[in-house]
Amino acid sequence: MEQHETRQLTFHGEGAKLFGIYIVNILLTLVTFGLYYPWARAALLKYMYEESEFEGSRFTFHGTGKEMFKGFIKAIGIFLVLYGILFGGMATQNATFMMLGLAIFYIGLLLLIPIAIHGALRYRASRSSWRGIHFGYRGDRKELLNTFIIGAIITLVTFGIYGAWLVIELRKYIFKNLRFGNITFSYEGEGGAFFWLNIKGYFLTLLTLGIYSFWWVKDLFAYYVNNIRMYQGETRLAFRSTATAGGYFKLLIVNVLIVVLSLGLATPWAIVRTMQFVFSNIHIDGPLDVDAIVQTEADYTDATGEDLADMIDIGIV
Amino acid sequence: MYNFSVRYHDGRLSIAHDATLTLMPDHWLIHYRDPSGELTSVRWALPGIVTDENFSNLFIFRYGEFPQQTIECKDGIMPETLKKRYPEKVFFRKRITDIFKLNNTTIVGVALAVLMLMGLGYWFGLPWLAGAVASRFPVSTEVKMGDTMYENMMHAYEIDQRLTAATNDFAKAIDFKTHYPIRITVVKDKEVNAFALPGGRIVVFDGIIRKMKTKEELAALLAHEVSHVHYRHSLRNIFRSLGGYLFLSLLLNDINGIVTVLADNSNMLANLTYSRELETEADTKGMAALAGNGISLKGFVDLFTLLRGEHGDVGSLKLLSTHPLTEDRLRAAEVMVERQKGVRDDRELEGEWEVIQDMSNK
Repeated sequence: MEQHETRQLTFHGEGAKLFGIYIVNILLTLVTFGLYYPWARAALLKYMYEESEFEGSRFTFHGTGKEMFKGFIKAIGIFLVLYGILFGGMATQNATFMMLGLAIFYIGLLLLIPIAIHGALRYRASRSSWRGIHFGYRGDRKELLNTFIIGAIITLVTFGIYGAWLVIELRKYIFKNLRFGNITFSYEGEGGAFFWLNIKGYFLTLLTLGIYSFWWVKDLFAYYVNNIRMYQGETRLAFRSTATAGGYFKLLIVNVLIVVLSLGLATPWAIVRTMQFVFSNIHIDGPLDVDAIVQTEADYTDATGEDLADMIDIGIV
Repeated sequence: MYNFSVRYHDGRLSIAHDATLTLMPDHWLIHYRDPSGELTSVRWALPGIVTDENFSNLFIFRYGEFPQQTIECKDGIMPETLKKRYPEKVFFRKRITDIFKLNNTTIVGVALAVLMLMGLGYWFGLPWLAGAVASRFPVSTEVKMGDTMYENMMHAYEIDQRLTAATNDFAKAIDFKTHYPIRITVVKDKEVNAFALPGGRIVVFDGIIRKMKTKEELAALLAHEVSHVHYRHSLRNIFRSLGGYLFLSLLLNDINGIVTVLADNSNMLANLTYSRELETEADTKGMAALAGNGISLKGFVDLFTLLRGEHGDVGSLKLLSTHPLTEDRLRAAEVMVERQKGVRDDRELEGEWEVIQDMSNK
């Protein structure tokens, strides 16, 4: 352990190119009444992956608009049914049916979250590669669903306190099942520590009238990154965050200025800045043999998850 | 000229081989030295080669079943050469996304042009569309909708039954030339205000009635509100803001919260200026209705003077005031008064007004 090997991802994206992609995407999505959306998403992901580099090689997103379109239609169908039940219940003007409609709607939405996380991870991982080696997610939908539902109920009963433990549980489960070829991952965070981190962040932010929020964000990012482990055979590699509160402050203030002063038009430049900040502040420490990662994942097709996740807008952990 | 230096990935291991690609008539030949130094060659049959969609000058080709072999080439002349070498096979399909490969100035230029078009659509197309949709909306549904809104709102107010009856009688003495059932409610509230709901409901605060000195002022207020009803301003506003939301959420789809907040506010700002247009329209049409009844338009001048005294005209609030500046309205009304001919003194209306004044000054 004498040498301190460390590696980083780099983001080469340019605001102007991203802006072009955004504009074309928006335009086509508008004139097709939203039907172009999956293709827009594919183009955006392809670009973002293509500009992400690790050890001299770029990442690739293999997903296509066509694949995602199927998922998109399914997702719209599911939402239509759920909203149909909700409004159907409302239309009856009968208290029982109204309550029933409301209950089915919210329970449905709650169930959709883990299903969407699962589907999105499966799809996204299988469609991502680097040097021809594919990522993969081997989680089990039922297991994730169970963890999520039990966790959600406990979170409700404990007035949200258990939420911190649930987030960590989910991260652990997801990383445990993530593969990059024969490389495996784990997440070493703990619910208790995460909970106190948030409590501390919340109260100090209140006390300092928001100033502490930059340290809070920095801590959350560090807690996420620093607890990721990567295993190549017997070798263990650790992720390390170098983000500082000052760095976050600069990133956020300038981004807000960019977005607000341009009335939102310069958002792509803000996104590029954010990507560069995130990538430049993550270090992967340890002796990784970048030439010896073995392909292990099989092909996989079903895009529903990819779009559901996007439609109900959950950040994937 | 048919040789390119490329990077080759065999799809089984993450090692990147620096290789030479040779374009043979019906296949590609890839040569590289594996780590032990042995010269290895791979053959790709032409039909199985797939080009990756890309946005930069890194060309990626894949071959075979999963896990696919990959080559990456950074040579800018590759597309040209492929076209010449294999005229019958299309490696790079023309796509709309090719625009991204142009230089940055072109991208920004195209983007700005598109933005301008969208801006035009938002500022001119959307109001027109909202008007078109609103005009096709059935009147019966509009009345029902307005009544539901009215019932929900009235919980917050105390109705002055006697003034309500008297004001309705007053309104009946004027012909507003509308097919909507105009129903006026006077509520007990000191504020100097009045508003119209879709379908003919008009709510007047007794604070404004108490401040009025002539019947023409009340007639002007009612004429203004009736115009809102008759020209379906609420519906147009609703459809426009719905359309605006749809437009902006599409425009800014997966961008973070700051932008959403911004989008919310910019849309509101747009609605405010839109309202100003509608207010001006309500003034003009209201004046026309009163003129048709032979009622003096001086009522409008007095009404605006009253409003000015009440709310004041603060310069810095220009952008954010829903109504056109009272000063501007006042001036416009004064011009109309000068032009007006054929004013009659309506005894019946005067009678109704006296009833209202007795009640409100009691």
